[in-house]
Amino acid sequence: MEITIKIFRYDPEKDVRGHYETYVVEGDENDRVLDVLELVKGKSDGTLAFRRSCAHGVCGSDAMRINGRNHLACKTLVRDVGANITVEPVLGLKVKKDLIVDMDPFFDNYKKMLPYMINESPLPADGRERLQSPEDRARFDETTKCILCAACTTSCPSYWANGEYYGPAAIVTAHRFIFDSRDEAAGERLQILAETDGVARCHTAYNCTEACPREIKITKAIGEVKMAMITGKLD
Amino acid sequence: MGLKRGVSLSAGLRYKGPSGYLTYILHRIGGLGMAIFITVHLLASFIGGRTGGFFNGIYENWAFQIFIFFCVLFHAINGLRITILDLWPKLLDYQKEAIWLEWAVFIPLFGISVFVIMNSALGG
Repeated sequence: MEITIKIFRYDPEKDVRGHYETYVVEGDENDRVLDVLELVKGKSDGTLAFRRSCAHGVCGSDAMRINGRNHLACKTLVRDVGANITVEPVLGLKVKKDLIVDMDPFFDNYKKMLPYMINESPLPADGRERLQSPEDRARFDETTKCILCAACTTSCPSYWANGEYYGPAAIVTAHRFIFDSRDEAAGERLQILAETDGVARCHTAYNCTEACPREIKITKAIGEVKMAMITGKLD
Repeated sequence: MGLKRGVSLSAGLRYKGPSGYLTYILHRIGGLGMAIFITVHLLASFIGGRTGGFFNGIYENWAFQIFIFFCVLFHAINGLRITILDLWPKLLDYQKEAIWLEWAVFIPLFGISVFVIMNSALGG
């Protein structure tokens, strides 16, 4: 089948602003949008720049706007978006070239959440694992699935308006540790999230939950963090 | 080197968010509409004379009243949904259903109100 793909292009060495270029390629309805981009790069225009790595929805490299909504290009089939496709970089992060955005601000916010286990208590008597019940593990299972693709954060209108807002992905990361029974720094993370740029900036537009390629219920996770902050309870 | 991170209003509005995004946008329009109403109302009260009468004419116009009623009613019902979901995050599993319920409450209430406003404006 013939696939028409309109791609946002921007070369920082030549362009003052971005523009769109349209390519027509032969593909299959079962191709992924990433395959179509590879076809364009391989056969039509080798200068096209986009991120990709595992190409199987795990590394989170290829988040982009496909037909106006954030998706991972490697998880989006042509048959689901049609033969006329528009591909643009995600919103709210600086475009470096074509579909590549500057992810540094995103990861800076991620790091502010102390994204690692903090437990200063002595090890158990056997000196091995800090055990956890299946119920305690299930409490934060949802938010362990995040692959840091930034599809959620860059779909959030609050983040578009204010880049200082930590954003949904950072809060999801905080949730993963706040509700982990083995971690001892929930209070510290809740303190960080209580700041001006924390959870109060979430206005439940729900774009993040719909954009997440891992189907994490992000708005719910943010809601749970808000409640933990208000009540001081983690159950 | 690179393009700025700023997102224009048109780019933001063109994002194809789900139903929650539409209510998010309408909630902001509702808030803005109420701010406009209060401003016009205050100007009409304080300025007086022909200019005051002009502002008076704006907010007494039936089309403006329908717009303001839309703003107030939608802002109130949507705000109630957000408050309930904020207080009981477990209900966020039913976010889509909550939005459908919100429209189910809003549409008949707004429809009846539009009928009453237009009936009194055009009929009397």
